[in-house]
Amino acid sequence: MSAVTYAAADLPGVQVQRQTSSGRIAMTLALAGIVAVAAMPWWASTGTIRSILVLCCYIAVAQMWNLLAGYAGLVSVGQQAFMGAAGYALFVLAQTFGINPFLAVFLSLLVPAVLAVPLYLLLHRLDGPYFSIGTWVVAEVFRLVCSNLPLVNAGAGMSLRVMKDYSAFERNVAMSLLCAGMLLLTVGGSYWLLRSRYGLALIAMRDNPVAAASQGVNVAKLRFLIYVASAVGCGLAGAIYFMAQLRITPGSAFDPMWANVAIFIVMVGGIGSIEGVLIGALIFFIADRWFGAYGATYFVVLGLMTLLVALYARTGIWGLISRRWDAPWFPIRRKLVDPNRP
Amino acid sequence: MEWFDALVQGILLGGMYAQYALGMALMFGVMRIVNISHGDLVILLSLIGISMATAWGLAPVSVLVILVPLAVLMGWLLQKAVLNKVVGSDPLPSLIATFGLSIALQNLMLQIWSANSRSLPGHGIESQSIEIAGIYVGVLPLIVLAVATGLTWGLDLMLKRTRFGRALRAASADVEAASMTGINPRAVYALATAVAVGILGFAAVFQSLRSTVAPADGPAQLIYAFEAVIIGGMGAVWGAFLGSMVLGIAQAIGFRIDPGFGVLAGHLVFLFVLATRPQGLFGKATT
Amino acid sequence: MTAVLSTHGLIARYGDFQALYGVDTELHPGEAVALIGANGAGKSTFLRSIMGLLPVAKEMVRLDGEPVGGTATDRMVQKGIAIVPEGRRLFTGMSVEDNLRVAIDQAARIGAKGGWTLARLHKLFPILAEKARSQVQSLSGGQQQMVAIGRALLCQPRVLLCDEISLGLAPKVIREIYAALPEIRAAGTAMIVVEQDVGLAQSASDRLYCMLEGRVTLTGKSGDVTREQIGKAYFGAGHGVV
Repeated sequence: MSAVTYAAADLPGVQVQRQTSSGRIAMTLALAGIVAVAAMPWWASTGTIRSILVLCCYIAVAQMWNLLAGYAGLVSVGQQAFMGAAGYALFVLAQTFGINPFLAVFLSLLVPAVLAVPLYLLLHRLDGPYFSIGTWVVAEVFRLVCSNLPLVNAGAGMSLRVMKDYSAFERNVAMSLLCAGMLLLTVGGSYWLLRSRYGLALIAMRDNPVAAASQGVNVAKLRFLIYVASAVGCGLAGAIYFMAQLRITPGSAFDPMWANVAIFIVMVGGIGSIEGVLIGALIFFIADRWFGAYGATYFVVLGLMTLLVALYARTGIWGLISRRWDAPWFPIRRKLVDPNRP
Repeated sequence: MEWFDALVQGILLGGMYAQYALGMALMFGVMRIVNISHGDLVILLSLIGISMATAWGLAPVSVLVILVPLAVLMGWLLQKAVLNKVVGSDPLPSLIATFGLSIALQNLMLQIWSANSRSLPGHGIESQSIEIAGIYVGVLPLIVLAVATGLTWGLDLMLKRTRFGRALRAASADVEAASMTGINPRAVYALATAVAVGILGFAAVFQSLRSTVAPADGPAQLIYAFEAVIIGGMGAVWGAFLGSMVLGIAQAIGFRIDPGFGVLAGHLVFLFVLATRPQGLFGKATT
Repeated sequence: MTAVLSTHGLIARYGDFQALYGVDTELHPGEAVALIGANGAGKSTFLRSIMGLLPVAKEMVRLDGEPVGGTATDRMVQKGIAIVPEGRRLFTGMSVEDNLRVAIDQAARIGAKGGWTLARLHKLFPILAEKARSQVQSLSGGQQQMVAIGRALLCQPRVLLCDEISLGLAPKVIREIYAALPEIRAAGTAMIVVEQDVGLAQSASDRLYCMLEGRVTLTGKSGDVTREQIGKAYFGAGHGVV
């Protein structure tokens, strides 16, 4: 029997389409938004800048939680550990050691990055829910250590008095730029990551870690990298937030409130999607403005909403929307399109 | 002598923590669920007990008699209304659901009872002490330890010898196979949670007797329960008990070294056990 | 004679994947029916559908003529059907005796009447008495299979479903286990035996069904069916080797 050779056939001239029209619109709006944030000192009052800065921090922290829980399958309720760690690092570098505070923001990111490594090695052996409480314990340990540490002025906290050296306008410009940068890094960075080949691995890991591993995805290593990236992202949000606050105490630095807010935003908005984080953050921001004055009752409602979403609408608002309309704002799918076929 | 005293105090404190840890170990062992509102349930029960005692002038024993059945009912309702909908291989929904519940409960309690700390009027039992081997040991902590030991022993017996216990163990080994032998998993889970929260009824009375409670105290109790279970070894009832002892002793010794160091000492021992022997001191090494 | 268990146009799906395409079967009291077919033919799916482990329409499964499709598994056990599942699915971490006691407990709870007791089981499989206190995971494959069968029998079933009970066992052990089946039948229990070994299936049953890709391709008396007929039905006529 002779071998049958296949005639060399021309490969069909298909293209890989990454972008959609909804994506293009969203991208334009997003870029416009980031420019608007960077330009805040020219169109917004200091009060408004502060509010938007806090909103940006919520978005950043929520997106970091989303990366962790939605893709790596690691549910953390202790990301505030890294926020406080970077915040304190900033204050110590800028106030105690006199380093330029804006430079110190970036230097402070080393602290959460370095801390994340041994912490992950310690915690990753814990089973799902126990991992979560473990992250909470870590945040508590940080809080207790800082409460007793003379370097950070123990329980009395620290003030960022060096900021007095800069004018209000200078501070606003710096804060706005940092904010824009943070959004670019956390949200933009996540989108870039999801569109890269790591993104494919991440989505595979999100959908089915075992199947992903069988396809050669190094799930363990990817989880670890996501954990460190998330720590740094939260650290950045923390540094920026406390720089704007001008004051940090152990209680505020490691406040579990950040976990509550991040979880609410991501779960209500829609876990595992960037669109969900933006929707959830907007909802939270508006609710906070209107109902925050009601204090404890407002949080009861937030808690109940989180509970109900987990029970009845696990994919959140964006999940419900995307089931009806396929119009992603941050498209990550690859479509094969043959330009020759109608 | 001081260190022996710290050891004894630690064991007594462990008795308190055991009452938190038992329920958590049971629920995780059977359903692979951790109820994040576990600590908040204790506080809720405590506050209800305190309100009842002040309103009707009840003695602690009466409060106990009312709270434990109430706790059993709460646990059963919790399972039926919330947890049965999130049992499964994906841990996220149960985590988020109980997390949301925890936030809602804490703030509801804050709204109803305000942030003030309260305690249960004990009519003197909080201050009684007896002398054993040259040191003074509080009567209340001894009772707490005795009850904790009794509860652990009872729970262990129940799991080993009763029909319900066997059904529970079967469901935690293989829930589908359990249903193939006629076990209704949802009913078994509901009873398990009822028992787990029922034990918290005891914890609620003792915690509010020996110390003050405030609506925000829940998370701390949750963390102690969790640390005790991990230190002892997951899933084992006596493991949770002994883990609680270790945690209590660690905290007591830490407190002796420096009053601000007590809780942190417990955290550090927990982290150390996690780093060196993740299956727990009394757990079997998993391959 | 009315069937004690019957399926009518049974359709079953795993999500988007359809596993059964309208399967009609019948089981009469005291009968032993074999279900043969290649891997993936849908035999285990068939048994699981009956036991309520898969959602199916109510009318598709009838017990004594009553539609019971989709009923929860533990309720099916109450109605008198027990399954020896594929892979045995014993309760690891518990002793042999405890594994059996679970079934006894549940049968007692619902007041099931039947002749199976621990003593009778020990006579059928003496090893169960010997290893009563041992942890079930320390037993050999054959011994575990005996525990699994015993556990199902202690549910006092009228219908026993056996899913690949010879899987992974040595021939001598398989003979031992299959030697026990006639006694189970004599006690009045009807059986459906899913089996890959065709010869074993024929000798252990009155009638057989052969399945291929979710459909019944052959049915008949076990004694009358020829090897050629089975071969065609097992692999499919027209699925010849090129």
